[in-house]
Amino acid sequence: MTAAFHQVEAELLRSLVGQLLELVRGEPAQRDPRQAGDPLAAAFGLGDDPTRPTDPVVLRLFPDAYRDDDESAAEFRRFTERGLREAKADAAAVVLASLAAVGPVEADDPLDSGGEKVRLHLDADEAQAWLRTLTDLRLALGTRLGVEEGDEQHWRALPDDDPRRHIHDVYDWLGWVQETLVRALSAGLD
Amino acid sequence: MTTAPAEVDRPESDEVVVPDTPWTTVVWNDPVNLMSYVTYVFQSYFGYARGKAEKLMLDVHEKGKAIVSSGTREAMERDVEAMHSYGLWATMQKVGDRG
Repeated sequence: MTAAFHQVEAELLRSLVGQLLELVRGEPAQRDPRQAGDPLAAAFGLGDDPTRPTDPVVLRLFPDAYRDDDESAAEFRRFTERGLREAKADAAAVVLASLAAVGPVEADDPLDSGGEKVRLHLDADEAQAWLRTLTDLRLALGTRLGVEEGDEQHWRALPDDDPRRHIHDVYDWLGWVQETLVRALSAGLD
Repeated sequence: MTTAPAEVDRPESDEVVVPDTPWTTVVWNDPVNLMSYVTYVFQSYFGYARGKAEKLMLDVHEKGKAIVSSGTREAMERDVEAMHSYGLWATMQKVGDRG
């Protein structure tokens, strides 16, 4: 499938996905420096930190698997969080690679005030990576902003110079991008 | 009220059969994920037909949660992990647990 973005949008995506990559790669080593360099422990998935993340964004990306059973939740986290982090990092890396491999920038369309566009050609695997990474981006921004069900009025009412308004606009735009991707992929499911 | 048990020949058996307690995977509503995306995940990962996937998604959206699969504990761990990889919020519980 083909995706087209204005250059500004492509740059924004590159920046956001780069930050997401740092976020999902970041924590385990920081939580316990002793375990950071142990390849054997990494091979067995042992020494992984079972404690619930304190950063609400990280917690939302890697939620508890049990509601009322902290011990089981910790066990589940110990055995799965590393793999989930790697999967999310891999998907983000695929998105960055596809943004880096864009085709020639199209000539300015005098009717299109958004400027030059870049076109990406995505195969099935790349489309899946985009789907998951867009979700992770929206989860990260949405959690940071504290979005709630049906709160659009609140965001619309913010003054233009409120920086959260801008972040929420980006969050909304990502939702639109994801909606179009889901529609394209869903057409192939029925 | 009972009667004294009559003597019965018991068959010799050392077998103890413990049934697997059925577990379920629950997906919870969240304010971020698109309804279309949640439906897509249910179709894509579980292989549910669109109608069933949409119904489950609406249950999540309107009731706050929905049971999306059931089976052994190991199978539910795989499903929960998969849901988390898709960015959905899921937990697992034994049938009969509150939640």
